[in-house]
Amino acid sequence: NWNCWRLQDATCAWFTLSSLLDILTCSTLSAARSQHSLFFLSHNLSSSSSHTYTYDPVNPCVLMECVPPCSDRPGFGEETPGVPLSSGPPTPLRAQTFSSFSPSKSYSRQSSSSDTELSLTPKTGMGSGGSAGKEAGPLKVFLRQQTQSALEQREYPFFTLTAFPPGFLLHVGGVVSARSVKLLDRIHNPDEPETRDAWWEEIRQEIKSHAKALGCHAVVGYSESTSICEEVCILSASGTAAILSSRFMQDGPLDVEHRFEEVVSPGCGFCHIPYDELNIPFPAQLTYCYCCRRYKVPDVLFTTIDLPTEANVTGKGCLIQARLCRTKKKAQGEGNATAISNLLPFLEYELHTQLMNKLKLRGMNALFGLRIQISVGETMLLGLASATGVYLTALPSPGGIQITGKTPSDITYEQHISNMQKKINDTITKNKELYEINPPEVVEEIIGSPIPEPRQRSRLFRSHSESSDEVSELDLSHGKKDAFVLEIDDTDAVEDIHALLTDFSIPAGFYSCNTEIMPGIQNWTSAIQMFTSVRVFRLNTNLTNQGLNKIFSDLCENLLKSLYFKLRSMVPCCLCHLNFTVAIPEDELIQVAVTAVAMSFDKEQTLENGKQSGEKTLIKAITDEQLQFSLELNAETSSPNPLSSPKGLSDVGSHPSARASSMEKASPLPEGRSRSLRSNRSYSGSSVAVVKMTPLSFIPGAKIIKYLGIINMFFIRETTSLREEGGVSGFLHTFIAEVFAMVRAHVAALGGNAVVSYSMKECVFMENPNKNQAQCLINVSGDAVIFVRESELELTSVQPQSATTQTSNGGEGT
Amino acid sequence: MSTELDVFVGNTTVLDEDVYQLWLDGHTVSDAVRIRMEAGALQECEANAEILHSDTMDQFRTFQMCERLLQSPSKVANQLLFQIPPHHQTMLIERYYEFDSVFAREVLGKKLSKGTKKDLDDISSKTGIALKCCRRQFDNFKHVFKVVEELKGPLVENIQRHFLLSDVLARDYAAIVFFANSRFETGKRKLQYLSFQDFAFCAGQLISYWTVGAVDNMMEDLNVDLEKEFLHDLKDLKVLVNDKDMLDQHKSLVCAQLRGKIKVFSEMEASFKNLSRALVNIASKLTHTKDFRDLFIDLVEKFVEPCRSDKWTIGDLRLFLKHYSSSVRMLEAFRHQVIWDRYMGVIQSCILKMYHD
Repeated sequence: NWNCWRLQDATCAWFTLSSLLDILTCSTLSAARSQHSLFFLSHNLSSSSSHTYTYDPVNPCVLMECVPPCSDRPGFGEETPGVPLSSGPPTPLRAQTFSSFSPSKSYSRQSSSSDTELSLTPKTGMGSGGSAGKEAGPLKVFLRQQTQSALEQREYPFFTLTAFPPGFLLHVGGVVSARSVKLLDRIHNPDEPETRDAWWEEIRQEIKSHAKALGCHAVVGYSESTSICEEVCILSASGTAAILSSRFMQDGPLDVEHRFEEVVSPGCGFCHIPYDELNIPFPAQLTYCYCCRRYKVPDVLFTTIDLPTEANVTGKGCLIQARLCRTKKKAQGEGNATAISNLLPFLEYELHTQLMNKLKLRGMNALFGLRIQISVGETMLLGLASATGVYLTALPSPGGIQITGKTPSDITYEQHISNMQKKINDTITKNKELYEINPPEVVEEIIGSPIPEPRQRSRLFRSHSESSDEVSELDLSHGKKDAFVLEIDDTDAVEDIHALLTDFSIPAGFYSCNTEIMPGIQNWTSAIQMFTSVRVFRLNTNLTNQGLNKIFSDLCENLLKSLYFKLRSMVPCCLCHLNFTVAIPEDELIQVAVTAVAMSFDKEQTLENGKQSGEKTLIKAITDEQLQFSLELNAETSSPNPLSSPKGLSDVGSHPSARASSMEKASPLPEGRSRSLRSNRSYSGSSVAVVKMTPLSFIPGAKIIKYLGIINMFFIRETTSLREEGGVSGFLHTFIAEVFAMVRAHVAALGGNAVVSYSMKECVFMENPNKNQAQCLINVSGDAVIFVRESELELTSVQPQSATTQTSNGGEGT
Repeated sequence: MSTELDVFVGNTTVLDEDVYQLWLDGHTVSDAVRIRMEAGALQECEANAEILHSDTMDQFRTFQMCERLLQSPSKVANQLLFQIPPHHQTMLIERYYEFDSVFAREVLGKKLSKGTKKDLDDISSKTGIALKCCRRQFDNFKHVFKVVEELKGPLVENIQRHFLLSDVLARDYAAIVFFANSRFETGKRKLQYLSFQDFAFCAGQLISYWTVGAVDNMMEDLNVDLEKEFLHDLKDLKVLVNDKDMLDQHKSLVCAQLRGKIKVFSEMEASFKNLSRALVNIASKLTHTKDFRDLFIDLVEKFVEPCRSDKWTIGDLRLFLKHYSSSVRMLEAFRHQVIWDRYMGVIQSCILKMYHD
């Protein structure tokens, strides 16, 4: 589709149905015209609407900025207040030197960021063979190459990293994203990458300009993805606009101490707005930072990165998902592309609405690790947004959710509404307890929203709802807090609110997040269990959007519930890095794949333990600046050559007993320790080494002493005796088990005992039960490592210091 | 709307012992789900029937995939497909080889052949054990039998080494192998009151004291064949009942010891000669395969039942047997003391084990 959208501030966009319709009309009209502009690369005028949506026929992207939502803005829609997009939407016309854009020869379906030298930093640095300093390595290279000015001159100051050393992120603006719908059969030379490169080029430019609009000069946590159905392809990119510390960009040798000296930032620095508050790019409600009281912060922050280690967080976090399914007519070629791009803005907007509502419902104010997947099928579009919600101490406490009805005269209806309201309020209270969110009460001061006379509340609309003004008369604030208003104007809305409330609560003893680590949990035990779960669901035909939504949502919920049930023996535990992947393998089929790791932790947080575990995982929200400083310093100095201390590797290599016991301890169950005697005996009789796998970059309670390189394996399996192998489930179960086994064997053959940063990048499953056949392709990757238990390290180490200094490595990086 | 595919695979194989037991018991998935629900699985983790079903399916699939490995347990520790913690490996193997003693009782002494396998249907309906479960147990018996048949050395240790079973279970298997090898008659109606544990105990006694392996554990082949020489020597015991003086002397010695100590003294006195004759005759006929197979039925018919009809208590019996076997030492003319002790030691404990309702 060649419609172009710029959806500003989607989380709180204040557009009305009529304005949406305007845009839709515009874009539909422009569709025909813009096709040409695309494929012949002729240039149409880039026009922009006067609303928050601007559309740009030349630049076929659906673009979305998920920025801190604004406070209420009456009369929005009349004019766009100071959107600093003066630079205008980028057009492909701009003279570009494709300097950093190496043509990729591979005709890959999934054009990932690795195809092109997209990020300027080496991607992770972890897989780089013998390079031992996993964290400092890339950083060092990066530092040498980059200067602040260089960063700004760079074509794409994008970082795919999601975790950074403290002080590196100065400010975080919010999520920037861009999407584009393309027709693959229009590529003139499918074997040549030019056309695809040009497509990504457009999207990256778009991302870059969005970051600029937020006053940021870089994008972190950047990722790209595609979804293909027949000849239609949706290209997506998203990241987090940020301002990075110039100290890290300086040329010259690493002068660690100096570089860090002045960077020491309190745990709120990154929350401070990067943009000019007087020239704010979107409506937002700003307050003074609740930590330092000096700088301004938005009321909500969405990001794609991991929670910075220095962040001050109140309570615990949790996984928040928005799920959406939209039917679409079967169509071909351009018609199909148009239909898809007409649906996309609604889809994205609703996803954000859901995210925002669920965030409020949990009494939280920030999302980390946001990942939105849009999947396209013949007759539907799927949207799944996953993120980890937390309460950032620096940000104001979120208001409640207020629901209002359209027909206040009806008494029974009113009663129904007030019942729901009560339920919502109860849920919020319950959630605050559950996630231990009890921030200190502070006097609120709302400042500098650029909109004249802001009503002190924000309203929340569903995309289908018409705007209505009645609500403005109601006093909806809880005390001084702002409430979101959910208006119930049709049956859909009732369903939605029900859906909101019926999200089941997580069973006792469980936590979940899609980021590396969970704020508020430090003392992990060594019990970890990585798993993959795949479900394929067959839908009935002729489902309504509501029905589809419900099914999809239930599918995800049930999958999660199932995971909790299966892992109940590990409580208290946290499911980390919950990575959902949705696909529409066929018409009427929805496939959801989840890979995550369950990690147990000790409930008792003794003081003694607290310090140790903080060092182990580096996840402690550090308030003591001095501690933070010295810790990081240690990490930096030691990491360039972690093997400099003669202990560690040599010990492991030369003492088989040490090695054996480390593997024996790898028993994934919490009771492993008590059984260590027995398991030790059994180990000696077995030739199979235990290999741990985790999607995280670290192993709790252990230190990674050597990186053995990247593991990237593709497997294709086919069967012509599907029934005999236990049907599709039996076939896939065996296959996944075998994939794990092969990865483990590969790592063991390299001399490693764990895989970190493991991910299943692709799982394509096809079946033909009539022919008794099925095929499956799986792509997995990760880093093979050798780790040693910290306890053993301390035992064997002559210099006890080295153990502590090196531990900090394990917790960071990606 | 239906779930087309649903799998969960952990890097460390996730196992639930209760579900494993349900699988071993031969339940179908839906049965297992129902049983789990009745057992209160829904209270855990806010589960529902759907979750339970999915979990049960996954586990059953995993067990099915593991079954191949479990059939040769030494492979479990050396395979790569499933990463199973050692204590779970032990549990999997042990439980897989566990069997219902009711079932084992039915099969005991039968030839572990296809013919018997066909009878499993009947056994299943008789015992109420699912056919699937019967098959597994029967196949295990057969498998263990086949493996140890060829091996040298002590039976129990061989079973333990090859199947990584616990001592108790290995002993039970040894009993099964022993019975299958010796083909003792156990199916007669009169023997029905004896449980598998009774027989297993007797088998243990026989293996420990009467077999080739008991004397020399480096013999060729299966060492659970009884020692031929010993059986032959048992014929010499006949003198105890054939020599009238010796029999009378023996009786008076026993009576002197037991007078006033047992309630059934007069009955004992009356039936002493019959009982003694029965025991010695059994001993002397063990060389014949047919009589050997009838060892247990003979013991019951000729010894246990007469005592029972005279209402001997177990205490009376114990005292009697003790003195009956020990007073032989005082018979100066008797020269087969060693053979007698070896015979009576086993017979005494077997009878005591078998003497119940």
